[in-house]
Amino acid sequence: MLETRKLCKSFGAIDVTKSVSIKLERGERRVILGPNGAGKTTLFNQLVGELRPDSGEIHLAGEDVTALPVAARTRRGLSRSYQKNTLFDGLTVEENLSLAAAVATGHESSMWVDSLTRPDVREIVQEVANQVNLMPYLHAKVSAVSYGVRRQLEVGVALATRPLVLLMDEPTSGVGPEMSKGFHDLLNNLPRDLTLLIIEHDMDLAFDVADTITVLNYGEVVFDGEPEAARGSSLLKEIYLGSWEDA
Amino acid sequence: MFRHTPFRYATLALLAALAVLYTLNAEYFGLELVAEIAVLAILVLALDMVAGFGGMVSLCHGALMGIGAYAYALLTTAGGLTAPVGMLGAIAITAAFAWVIGAICSRSHGIYFIMATLAMGQMAYSYVFEAPIFGGDDGLSGISRLDLSLIGLDLNDGRSFAFFCLVMLGLAYGFSALVLSSGLGRSLSGVMHSEQRMRALGACVWRVKADMFGVSGGIAGLAGVLAAQHVMFVSPGLLAWTVSGEALVVVILGGLGTLVGPLVGAVAFIMLKHEISDMTSYWHLVVGLILIAVVMSGANGIFGWIESQVERWRPRRAAMTDEEIRKREVLSDA
Ligand SMILES: Nc1ncnc2c1ncn2[C@@H]1O[C@H](COP(=O)(O)OP(=O)(O)OP(=O)(O)O)[C@@H](O)[C@H]1O
Ligand SMILES: [Mg+2]
Repeated sequence: MLETRKLCKSFGAIDVTKSVSIKLERGERRVILGPNGAGKTTLFNQLVGELRPDSGEIHLAGEDVTALPVAARTRRGLSRSYQKNTLFDGLTVEENLSLAAAVATGHESSMWVDSLTRPDVREIVQEVANQVNLMPYLHAKVSAVSYGVRRQLEVGVALATRPLVLLMDEPTSGVGPEMSKGFHDLLNNLPRDLTLLIIEHDMDLAFDVADTITVLNYGEVVFDGEPEAARGSSLLKEIYLGSWEDA
Repeated sequence: MFRHTPFRYATLALLAALAVLYTLNAEYFGLELVAEIAVLAILVLALDMVAGFGGMVSLCHGALMGIGAYAYALLTTAGGLTAPVGMLGAIAITAAFAWVIGAICSRSHGIYFIMATLAMGQMAYSYVFEAPIFGGDDGLSGISRLDLSLIGLDLNDGRSFAFFCLVMLGLAYGFSALVLSSGLGRSLSGVMHSEQRMRALGACVWRVKADMFGVSGGIAGLAGVLAAQHVMFVSPGLLAWTVSGEALVVVILGGLGTLVGPLVGAVAFIMLKHEISDMTSYWHLVVGLILIAVVMSGANGIFGWIESQVERWRPRRAAMTDEEIRKREVLSDA
């Protein structure tokens, strides 16, 4: 469904992505682990097209999308949430979701029809608001809701584009354990044919939701396999837990 | 995002009633004022659409109005077209120019966008000034007004023309409101708040900007057509960047991003200009001081200020904070 082939990217002298090749099957749920600065977000930026790789290829649903701009990839079913909230702050929660749903349903450039009141848009908004527990906050402005709610909305907006592949960049970063559990429930309620790629620091959650795990260290894939194998891997312990304990 | 509220509807109804009453009773000079206000109001509506709802602060809307005026003049004199066809043609031509400007400038933001549009406007200005077909410094004369004798109206009569301008203003307002409440208008709002996210959602950001700039340009073109019909003469001064600057002042004076506010701003601006220029030739100074006072007060222009005062007296439901929501939930649980 989503595949990279020998993806490379460097910022000056630092190689942030070193010949990364990963392959996700349809419906696969993969977690990316790795210490701070390992190049996880940079990999996402290349996958969605916000950053151009120096070399290598990215394939989405069998098509080479390496040269396509961000919007074109999204329209082909790729969606992402950001590590640092990237929301429409001045608008309400409902309007945030609606803008995403409007593009997904093709009403975003209509000059006569109000996309916000379209039944197909409203249906997506209701569905996603239920999925990410935003129903009570629909009419609140983003600037007025708590950080935790914004974090939920960050994932909600990405979901409202109706993606085939969803990339989530540390969706539970900075929120309490209770919300982490809520996020867990959300993942369990997502359709099984949705392909997920999640950057996550919480190891327990990672092992719990992942079908497969990729560990990045200094831009390099140092582990790629089943969670059980990862748990026992001394390499992973050394790299990931080591730096984790240092922190 | 653009929304009509009961208070906005009430303001519109009040403005419309005042305009009709005034126009029914005004003498020659008053009717000139009405036409002048209507033309300015249409121009600032166009500007508010892109500046207030898309963050595209344009300094070429004066030039767009000028393009509309010249296009109408040329199409109906040298081009030999009838006035209605000339009007539609001029609006379409201006919209096309604006779309191209919007597309070219869509990549720049903030001060760079302002400078880019200023440069576009100045290019249009100097071209019109130099090219012989536009009559240079002398401009073009012999422009006729729309012929409405079919429905028994003579637009060469000041009162009829003033009413005609008001009707056009009403149409322009309705059209602006419609487009701002459309999918395109909503997307523009998203682009203003976060271009990055809008792109990540799959929207074509430059198209959203260019399309709305084109619509806005068409409306500015209508203002130009009416300006040309009003004085039956066009000169390069219409395209001067100071016209754009003045339009921006009016939008800010009235209330950026409210659509109703700029109408209030246009009335206030023209009225002030005429009242104060009777007393002193330094009327610009007075308008400048008022603008500074409005900006310093922190309110969003005259209309924005009134609206915020009205809001205070009404319990707000739409903009509940997280805390308020939680409190409500606790209450309903109990
Ligand atoms: N635009 C950029 N220009 C230069 N260096 C960059 C840029 N973006 C990221 N980097 C560097 O690349 C490295 C990888 O950054 P990245 O954000 O991908 O890490 P990460 O794995 O997401 O880390 P974290 O867990 O902290 O989010 C870091 O050293 C970072 O400083
Ligand atoms: Mg990161």
